[in-house]
Amino acid sequence: MSDFWKELLTHKGNGWWNLPKTSQSEPNPKYEGPIGGPWLTNWWKFLTHSGVDHAGPAFYTVVAIFLAVITLLEVWIYTIKEFGVWLNPILIVLSLFKFIGVVAFFMHLRFDHRYFTLIFTFCMILGVSVFISALLMKSFAQTIQ
Amino acid sequence: MWTFLGSDVMFFGAFIATYLVYRGKSLVGPYPNEILNIPVTSVSTFVLLMSSFAMVLALHYVKEGKKSLGSFWIWSVVVLGAIFLGFQVVEFTEFALHGLTPRTNLFGTTFFILTGLHGGHVTIGVIWLIFMGVAHKKNALRPDNAEDLEIAGLYWHFVDIVWIVIFTVIYLISASDGAPVTVPHLGH
Repeated sequence: MSDFWKELLTHKGNGWWNLPKTSQSEPNPKYEGPIGGPWLTNWWKFLTHSGVDHAGPAFYTVVAIFLAVITLLEVWIYTIKEFGVWLNPILIVLSLFKFIGVVAFFMHLRFDHRYFTLIFTFCMILGVSVFISALLMKSFAQTIQ
Repeated sequence: MWTFLGSDVMFFGAFIATYLVYRGKSLVGPYPNEILNIPVTSVSTFVLLMSSFAMVLALHYVKEGKKSLGSFWIWSVVVLGAIFLGFQVVEFTEFALHGLTPRTNLFGTTFFILTGLHGGHVTIGVIWLIFMGVAHKKNALRPDNAEDLEIAGLYWHFVDIVWIVIFTVIYLISASDGAPVTVPHLGH
């Protein structure tokens, strides 16, 4: 039983959260700082730089709890009518957090080669462009009418 | 797989945009505020999210060579996916009983096409994972070829992120949509 917990939480002495080794754990990390360096300038590298492995069960459990809590929060916010015009933007932002949580960690894009991130991001941009184009066309048609 | 998922992003993007283009254009009911059941769909959303969690654990344990744990989590994904599909079948049946079908109004058409396509993706994922579960039982899925499960997992997580968007756009944002406001005729 103790082996089970050791395996679940410590990954053979590789830290409590069983995170893969990234450049952050090197003696002279490339992107210094609490979350990968001066992150406003390095945020893209922070999001996409590749590790060498995936994370472990404990880390994924934290992500799952995070996603479940956001879903509960969404439903709770939906029931509060006082948010008025802020309701939709808040729901979209929360949905975006969930989206990024699943893509970055469950789909382990965060730990994979940045090439995959580029492919997916490029297609996301195309997809969102299709989405926005359709809505703009609708708006344009209404203006004409 | 990433390239396929990228193309699927555009596929679903087009259908979600279509839903939004026709949002509020239905001339006859039932309207979203009369028929959508947010508490029930929240539960099914939670089930799908947890199936994604089960999927990452399945991949982890298959990679580690832990056969029983790997099997347990693969079949957990299958069961959770089937439960989600069950929710969808119940929802579609309820809607039909309340008079909403794809032919009733624009809401029905866009809603059933979008959620139906998503349900089709989930069904394919469940079938795929049943094959993975059987392969794992027969030792055809091992740590050295766990990439096969990883690819199935990417597909499964993608189905999950599409539902995250659908749940927000259709169920939460559109749930208060009712009958269109009629503009009074001001002619002589």
